[in-house]
Amino acid sequence: MDTEKVINAENLFMQDNEVEWITAAQQGDQQAFHQLYVRYHRRMYALCWRMLADKDSAEDVCQEVFVQLWQKISHFRGDSKFSTWLHSVATNTVLGHLRKQKNWLQKVFSIEDQGVEDAAVEMPELPELDKHIMRLPERARLVFVLFAVEGYRHEEIANMLGMAVGSSKSQYHRARSLLKEWVA
Amino acid sequence: MTKHNITDQELDKRIAQLTTEMSPEKDLWVGVERAIANKEQHSASPTTAKRHIHLAWAASFVAAILLTWGLTMPSQQVQQTPIDLALMMEENFNTNKQLILASYGQTQGQTLSADMQKQLNELSSARATINNALKADPNNSDLLNLLRWTQQQELDLLQQIYSPQWQTI
Repeated sequence: MDTEKVINAENLFMQDNEVEWITAAQQGDQQAFHQLYVRYHRRMYALCWRMLADKDSAEDVCQEVFVQLWQKISHFRGDSKFSTWLHSVATNTVLGHLRKQKNWLQKVFSIEDQGVEDAAVEMPELPELDKHIMRLPERARLVFVLFAVEGYRHEEIANMLGMAVGSSKSQYHRARSLLKEWVA
Repeated sequence: MTKHNITDQELDKRIAQLTTEMSPEKDLWVGVERAIANKEQHSASPTTAKRHIHLAWAASFVAAILLTWGLTMPSQQVQQTPIDLALMMEENFNTNKQLILASYGQTQGQTLSADMQKQLNELSSARATINNALKADPNNSDLLNLLRWTQQQELDLLQQIYSPQWQTI
């Protein structure tokens, strides 16, 4: 019975306008693309903000995600859910942005950042846990957001961030320990 | 008073409660729309730009062939004197320069950074000096080579200045 419900829900999903919007956007229809933007921009913005821990950068990169999406949407073949595919586009865009931002010293010596200690003060509108996530050091934050919030596996994260699977796991453990300590 | 860490279960509960959506304070669509329009404009023009660049390269190639031919031909068969070659090189250089500027949708009078403008002025001044020297010593092949090198430097600098840069949204 439950399986039937899931199938019905999926069918309903497929009947949704989203499929039409995607097809139309693939053919260059900006109105349809705008509908996809309306549906997903809040989700993409949340992802960008958590990964970047900076509201202004999150806004810029979220825009860039949709520019990238416009350029790449013709490559979407429907092998996975559109939202899953869009999340991978967004994650890659954010990571690309972070790589560009790193200065040569950080690149050469892999200097770990010290976290964004003051960020919580500037974000009164965020839930408490989010404020602390944004205080995490960059690597720990990225691993934590990708694993705990976005649902990626450590193997995928390690591949995306160019680190060993063990490092991904230890960064996640580090993030959890810090969060458990910080959250009241 | 000692502060106690929360448990793993409590942390997992809070993670599960995290919202998947956040609303940006400003309307991001305007920037997306503008960036898409810019990208489409740029992607529409490369064919023309590439054609112009190919033309410029072809013109340079022809000029190089003619120059080599002119320099290697026995003097009695050469119809053009070296000073004619210098003139031809200058004409060819100006054509290439205009093609590069046109391919990037630029005009010569466009405002450049002080540093770029200084470099362009220096190259242009060097070119004028070499041309003057060639008038006095039209058979000097070293001067002709120097003129060719200076022209190429100027064209390379123009390419560097006007080639499309990443646009921030």
